Amino acid sequence: MGVAIVTPDLESAPRRPGRVRTNLLPYALIGPSVAIIAGILAFPLGMLVWLSLQRYGLRELIAHAGEWVGAANYQRIVVDPLFHQVIVRSLLFTLACVGLTVILSTLIALLLLKVSQAVRVIVMSALVFVWTTPVIVSVDIWQWMFDYEFGVINYLLTQLHVGNFIHHNWFDNPIQGWSVFVVIVVWGAIPFVTITLFAGLLQVPSDVIDAAHVDGAGAWQRFWFVTAPMLKPIFLIVTCLSTIWDFGVFTQIYVMLNARPSADYYTIAIYAYRESFGVTQYGMGAAIAVVLVLVLVVVTFFYVRETVKVAEIA
Amino acid sequence: MKSRKAPLSVIGILMALVAAACGGTTSSNNPSTQTGTLTVWLMNGSAPQSVVDGVNADFKAKYPNVTVNVELQQWGDIGTKLDTAFAGSTPPDVVELGNTLVAKYAAAGALGDISGKKSSFDNSGTWLQSLTDSCTVSGKLYCVPYYAGSRAIIYRKDFFAAANVQPPDSMDGLLTVGQKLMAAHSSDPNFSALYYPGKYWYAALPFVWDFGGDIATQSGGKWQGSLNSPNAQQGLTKLNSLVAALSRADKTGDEAKQDAAFAQGHIAMIIANGWEVGVITDPKAGDPSLKDKLGAFPIPSHTAGQTAPVFLGGSDLGVAAKSKHQDLANEWVATFTNNKHMTEMATVGGVIPNNTSMLSLGTGINAVFYSAAKNSKFVPNSQNWASVENANVLPDMLVKIFTKQQAIPDATSSASGRITALLNGGG
Repeated sequence: MGVAIVTPDLESAPRRPGRVRTNLLPYALIGPSVAIIAGILAFPLGMLVWLSLQRYGLRELIAHAGEWVGAANYQRIVVDPLFHQVIVRSLLFTLACVGLTVILSTLIALLLLKVSQAVRVIVMSALVFVWTTPVIVSVDIWQWMFDYEFGVINYLLTQLHVGNFIHHNWFDNPIQGWSVFVVIVVWGAIPFVTITLFAGLLQVPSDVIDAAHVDGAGAWQRFWFVTAPMLKPIFLIVTCLSTIWDFGVFTQIYVMLNARPSADYYTIAIYAYRESFGVTQYGMGAAIAVVLVLVLVVVTFFYVRETVKVAEIA
Repeated sequence: MKSRKAPLSVIGILMALVAAACGGTTSSNNPSTQTGTLTVWLMNGSAPQSVVDGVNADFKAKYPNVTVNVELQQWGDIGTKLDTAFAGSTPPDVVELGNTLVAKYAAAGALGDISGKKSSFDNSGTWLQSLTDSCTVSGKLYCVPYYAGSRAIIYRKDFFAAANVQPPDSMDGLLTVGQKLMAAHSSDPNFSALYYPGKYWYAALPFVWDFGGDIATQSGGKWQGSLNSPNAQQGLTKLNSLVAALSRADKTGDEAKQDAAFAQGHIAMIIANGWEVGVITDPKAGDPSLKDKLGAFPIPSHTAGQTAPVFLGGSDLGVAAKSKHQDLANEWVATFTNNKHMTEMATVGGVIPNNTSMLSLGTGINAVFYSAAKNSKFVPNSQNWASVENANVLPDMLVKIFTKQQAIPDATSSASGRITALLNGGG
């Protein structure tokens, strides 16, 4: 955050020799962080790109020497119909998850403003519990709930006369199966987004809302024209973060489908993993992963821009 | 230049000496002076602990200064684990490999060539042909057959008696018997006459093969997927009608839980390996009271009186090419697969031994599985077969068929296309 403030200052400052020397200090301070980030992020990313330009199968892995093929891996995924399906599916899935997460979280955050202190503590605790449950553990429980033979969901729906759900298979039909995954992912994402939005809502000055009320604005208008614009930076940040997380979903689907998801349930991350470790085409898997990274870089751009803006205002 | 060259050549000579010294110890005739640690990877459940302990005791008696570490691996993530281990500089010295995986690792240079040592292993003249084939890549031998497994139908004798039916001798008979069982248990909504989880591709192969179909054929060095051939489709159509009429198993599930499900008492028949009888009657995971109620019969052919060819599964034992103790590792494999311990594998472990001379060891219910092995077939012997398995091509195709997402001609032709591409080295 400090850097964001210092940088524009540097640009506008007249460049006198004396100042350049003192201005090395910020760089020296940030140097170690940059070095560590380069080591743990830039280096593996560089390796990934390098790998994606090679034919790298099991033989090459054992011999520690790949065969340079240039952009051939990329050319192949561009014409791969399965890859197109996977991209479209991942995008739709992300859209559904992010949309539902933000809408539901906003509603819960607004509700939290209205309820009593005791209810607020209970809801917050529940949210934190969800947040702290390890993904593998929660997916195991979800798997049991949606089980074909012994699942409590099938039992409940049948008992409630919603229909005959005995031996109903939720993953027969990919649309139903993906709906289940939307539920699981949104359930896991709501706590962070809700708590962040709630913190934001507490910062909205009540006199502004009151003034709008006096002017005759209804509840929806007060939210849409007063609260929402004030929360816009926070909305943007949680949307960007959710997009990054949901686009790269792997664990929930992989664990739920016993580590053998059919092609109908591939996300980009699962597809890259299958190509690398299933079909032992590490170069191809790396190329798919690079595409995933590129898509996320676009989203990250908006996130970083908004973070910098917020920092400048602060 | 001179000064730099000298030390290099000295190092070269030293290395040659070290290499010679190493070679000297391993081929020396005095086993008691050999030292080192052998790491052995066996798959969980493949050999009873008592057999492994016996092998290590015999090995220790001969090589008192060699330590053997047997590490048990799980099937689930073994592919990834093996890739990583073989890529490293110190892979395990001995590895058990599923027979469909050997070609991939042998072709990639992960396993040592043991063609010259074949005669040093007991019974190598009568090894099961299908297992020997799985160990042979481009005419060279890369592993030692370990054990085999073949499938038959395990059934509840009491259910059959109550419904007044006998084990069928044809596929149509299987359907008729199953329908009578379904009728006899019509009040049980969880009952399956033949419990068939949708992704169970090993059990689908007998139907494909029995009608003369195959997974892929090879001509002129190129593979061609052939599950869409009329014969293969006929077999899958037959299987589909059996599953639709007789099974309430999860059409998108796999066979991992079928023994536990069978033990719960709502199933009359499963297609299973011989060792699964032990899982069904296991005091913890299963129901020991079923012991006397279980019988087995071979998967019948569509031609009455004959049996369908089954998939011959099993494992082989290979020595890593990067192992620093190649000779010791081969010696351990020879001890593990010698007459004494192979007999124990069959009698205590209940698996089919690696050679035809011991096939008489199968008695009781096991005899059915032993004889099923005589009419067995194998998946395409290609280094790329593991990719077909790991890409889930066959399970995905079966799920599409059983859940009616795709008609058999469409599902088989897209699977065949994928198999053709994968076997020929593409994605």
